[in-house]
Amino acid sequence: MRTRNIAFLMLIFGMVVGTLLCAVTYAQNAPEASERGKEVYEESCAHCHGTEGRGDGSAAENLLPKPRDFTRGLYKIRSTEAGELPTDQDLFDIITIGMPGSSMPGWETSLSANDRWELVAYIKTFHDGFKEGSAPPREITLAGKISYSEESVEIGKGLYTELGCIECHGNIGRGDGTSAPTLTDEWGFQTWPANLAQGWNYRGGSDTEAIFKRFIGGIAGSPMPAFEGDSFLHFGLTSEESKRLTELENKDEMTEAEDEESGQFYEKMDEAVNIALNRVEGIELSAAEQQIYDNAMKVVYEKSWHLANYVKSLTPEERPESAIGNNVLRSQYVQGELPTVDDAAWETFEARHFPLVGQVIIEPRQFNPTIDSVNVKSFYNDTEVAFLFIWDDRTHTIDETDEETGVTLEDALAVQFPVKVPQGPTAPKPYFLYGGRLPVYLWQWNASASDQVTELTAKGINNAEVQEVQGDVQAKGTYTDGQYKLWVKRSLKTEDKKDLQLESGVFVPIAFSAWDGSNGDVDTKRVVSSWYSFVLEPMPSSKRFVYPPLIALLSIGLLIGLRGIVQRRNS
Amino acid sequence: MKTYLLAGLALLLACSYVGGAFAAEGEEVEMLVFPDSYKASSVSSGGTISGVVKFEGDMPEMKALEITKDQAVCAATEKYDESLVVGEGNGLKNTIVYLHDISQGKDFDKATKLEIDQKGCQFSPHVQIVPVGSRLTMLNNDRVNHNVHIFSSINKPVNKQQTKNRRKMPLAGVKKAEGPVSVKCDIHGWMSAWIAYVPHPYFAVTNEKGEFSLEDVPAGTYKLGYWHEALGTNSASPDSVTVEAGGTVTQNYVLKMK
Amino acid sequence: MKRLSLFTTCLIILVGSWLVLRFVIGGVISVPIPGSVIAMYMGLIIIAILVHVSVEDSLFREFLRPVRETLVDDRRRVRRRVVAVLIPLFLLGYTYSIIAQRASPPGSPRDAHPSPPLELTYKDEVIGSMQDVVNPFRHYEKDDPEAFKAHVENGRRVYYQNCFYCHGDHLDGQGHFAPYLQPIPANFQDPGIIPNFQESFFFWRIAKGGPGLPAAGTPWDSAMPIWEDYLTKDEIWDVILFLSDYTGYQPRTFGEAH
Repeated sequence: MRTRNIAFLMLIFGMVVGTLLCAVTYAQNAPEASERGKEVYEESCAHCHGTEGRGDGSAAENLLPKPRDFTRGLYKIRSTEAGELPTDQDLFDIITIGMPGSSMPGWETSLSANDRWELVAYIKTFHDGFKEGSAPPREITLAGKISYSEESVEIGKGLYTELGCIECHGNIGRGDGTSAPTLTDEWGFQTWPANLAQGWNYRGGSDTEAIFKRFIGGIAGSPMPAFEGDSFLHFGLTSEESKRLTELENKDEMTEAEDEESGQFYEKMDEAVNIALNRVEGIELSAAEQQIYDNAMKVVYEKSWHLANYVKSLTPEERPESAIGNNVLRSQYVQGELPTVDDAAWETFEARHFPLVGQVIIEPRQFNPTIDSVNVKSFYNDTEVAFLFIWDDRTHTIDETDEETGVTLEDALAVQFPVKVPQGPTAPKPYFLYGGRLPVYLWQWNASASDQVTELTAKGINNAEVQEVQGDVQAKGTYTDGQYKLWVKRSLKTEDKKDLQLESGVFVPIAFSAWDGSNGDVDTKRVVSSWYSFVLEPMPSSKRFVYPPLIALLSIGLLIGLRGIVQRRNS
Repeated sequence: MKTYLLAGLALLLACSYVGGAFAAEGEEVEMLVFPDSYKASSVSSGGTISGVVKFEGDMPEMKALEITKDQAVCAATEKYDESLVVGEGNGLKNTIVYLHDISQGKDFDKATKLEIDQKGCQFSPHVQIVPVGSRLTMLNNDRVNHNVHIFSSINKPVNKQQTKNRRKMPLAGVKKAEGPVSVKCDIHGWMSAWIAYVPHPYFAVTNEKGEFSLEDVPAGTYKLGYWHEALGTNSASPDSVTVEAGGTVTQNYVLKMK
Repeated sequence: MKRLSLFTTCLIILVGSWLVLRFVIGGVISVPIPGSVIAMYMGLIIIAILVHVSVEDSLFREFLRPVRETLVDDRRRVRRRVVAVLIPLFLLGYTYSIIAQRASPPGSPRDAHPSPPLELTYKDEVIGSMQDVVNPFRHYEKDDPEAFKAHVENGRRVYYQNCFYCHGDHLDGQGHFAPYLQPIPANFQDPGIIPNFQESFFFWRIAKGGPGLPAAGTPWDSAMPIWEDYLTKDEIWDVILFLSDYTGYQPRTFGEAH
């Protein structure tokens, strides 16, 4: 009986282990590419990635970032170390989730999980490195994660500068570093560093683990280096030693004792680096060497978690709400003077977020926008209204010449209203793109004249006229750390008949256009928004202090009256 | 016997023709050709292949590089595009001249320093020969951040940050012969260099005068080829050079814009 | 256990029904039900309750008993005071919230599929009457499958070079520009789209785009380009073939019931 039980248990155990093994092998060492994989690829992927996987499908021409060329085996989003290929799970996840901020969509709802696995297997056939017998890629370990805290963020912030992240990503991460405009990818196409303040556009997702992996493993094919192992700042030193060495290195001149001290640090680093290189070259490490390597990597990983936490702190958890229609820009009433551009009053409430998309209706078109959105706040008083428009742009372009066309490029913003507010829900609005039969009233601001807004009237995107009467609008524009701030003030009412006249409580359609000169934006090539709503939010009605108590009193009276009636009846 | 020889010759011709056709269809920068295997041994009474590579045509204008950042360090001296450097007597600098098919010969000179300096935001040397398996050390004397981006495709690509205080950064030896591969610094987009990972020491890079010299070549007949980043290569149709023991052979090249 | 009074039972039914409508049906089971619809249901339930309790005099008296007691019976003094405070307080809060509510912008009613004009045109050229025009390549589906395939493939190319930014890789209206457009781009995977319209209708919508819509279709909001400015007539017909081929839905043909 006993033996039979044991045999039975072993059988069950065997079956469980067997299934697990099968599952693991399936996930790790994908099945041979089947006909199905090819079929799905050609139906769903080839139009961008090309039949041969070279990233040269018919749609590729207009896209930036370009669709991945699978033949090079360079994958941006990996959970593996620098120079390694991605795991099957990495490929599966990208197919499933897509790459935010690019034209790669997620296929979770449109392809079955099985089809997505077939695709993984098929995509791997484009690159020899995936061939059977190749060593499995070395994965980045997530053990030892340091959870988010103010302290960790502070340490990460220091590293951000020390490691040189600012060169491309800029002082506070808006992708506006001094190297940003000249970056190209492995294929020679222009590429922009991530704006770390817009986590919703991180290609591989914005959770801390994802940030950590991008940092350790690099983003293959892009200019983003891998910060793994031996290239890490002061590899082989403890955090304290590293701090001390930085101190020494930043001195203009070292004393003899200091020179010796730093020399010791360098020796220690050289030893650790040597071990790390041996490891990469496939030389077996002794136990002592392994220990040195592990200790060094522990420091690298700790610091990397701090850095990941810092980057995480730069972006909101999610893209601000932008549900169209619900996204009303409400101007807040203040008594007296309106706040100026630097006034702290602007910080008292959250901006409304208006996403912008490439203008692809009228030639020249913008298929690959770099301005993501514009955030707006507004105040008004009895006579005037003030706006603050805030948008991220990686470069401050005021006078750049387009190499192809020779036209002058510069950054700009246009705010659009109808000249006359449509009366009633079915009344026609002007065409959302600079009007048409019905005209629009525009405020045009250019980075080259940052304290000036020009008033325009337009009856079409190529039919805008500068108004004869100018000077109704005051403006002040600033550019700091990859962000424009434009402050605009105007009277609610003007003498000019071509201007929009504003009135409290009236919903006015509002729309935006923006140009990023360094992205080739000029004229119709720009980013735009649909119509949204703007309203001078009326002061809460004073009736709210009159009617409710009145009704409450009335109800008490009613109750008393009712009681009287009932009492009289009873008696 | 003769027919066999003829047939063999015809086959060889056909092969080289087909090979040539393939190579002609290749990418803009064509690759070097490496022998299947190489055995190092001591070479006694080897010969020398030397010569000069010259540029034909008008002296090209030196293109000044546009320095877009870190001016204090990078723009301290005028920087020029090094993709085509023509020296006195039209000598063409930075051309690799090498043997395609040598399978036995001297060992690498261990005393040669394998370094690329990043100095004033320019790589030096512009073309570096690195033996397979050897470590190349990147130097940074600029006190600015650099990143070393090596665009390998046969070996694993490298992209490492070399922060401003990191004077020396050795890179792991590679496993396979490859090249030349491009080296860039993304932080300073104008920086450019080339690395050839090679399996044998018979590679030379021409100097300012366009001179090169391959020494200690065991006697025999070899295919000799050149590679230049802007002017291309003769990988598809190398010259045949016969070296006699202790002798010197001269082979000059004149390259022009394609 | 004491039996619940009729009044309490009715009150429980009312509150219960509201909870079910608001949170169970409009939440767990389905999307939230609009407030006006809930109010309508609640009205019906109140009427039903009133009808039920007022059919007999005795029942009605029984129903009103707790109310009467609360109002006058000295044993119910505590309850009376609680009610006398709660009801005015509730009304106070409720009226305040209504008055203080922020106005929302006027909705704009839009007919997503307004009636097309009588004549189908491409630029200024009249193609024919909207009802009669058929896709000139549709017949290949039966006559010449190879040619049909070529047209579908061309349509695929046109689609992915022009349309997928908004209408999506999968034709589901979820392209990467789509989330920020109002109105949202058409979803061709929706079974209510392709089968309900003739191919000439699609030709019209593609050729004339947003600005070509009649007022009912709010032409001022639509971001659909005027594709006759970019695409040839044949390309438009091809992309229509691709839409139905990819989704598997056949457009309506003339003569079928609506």
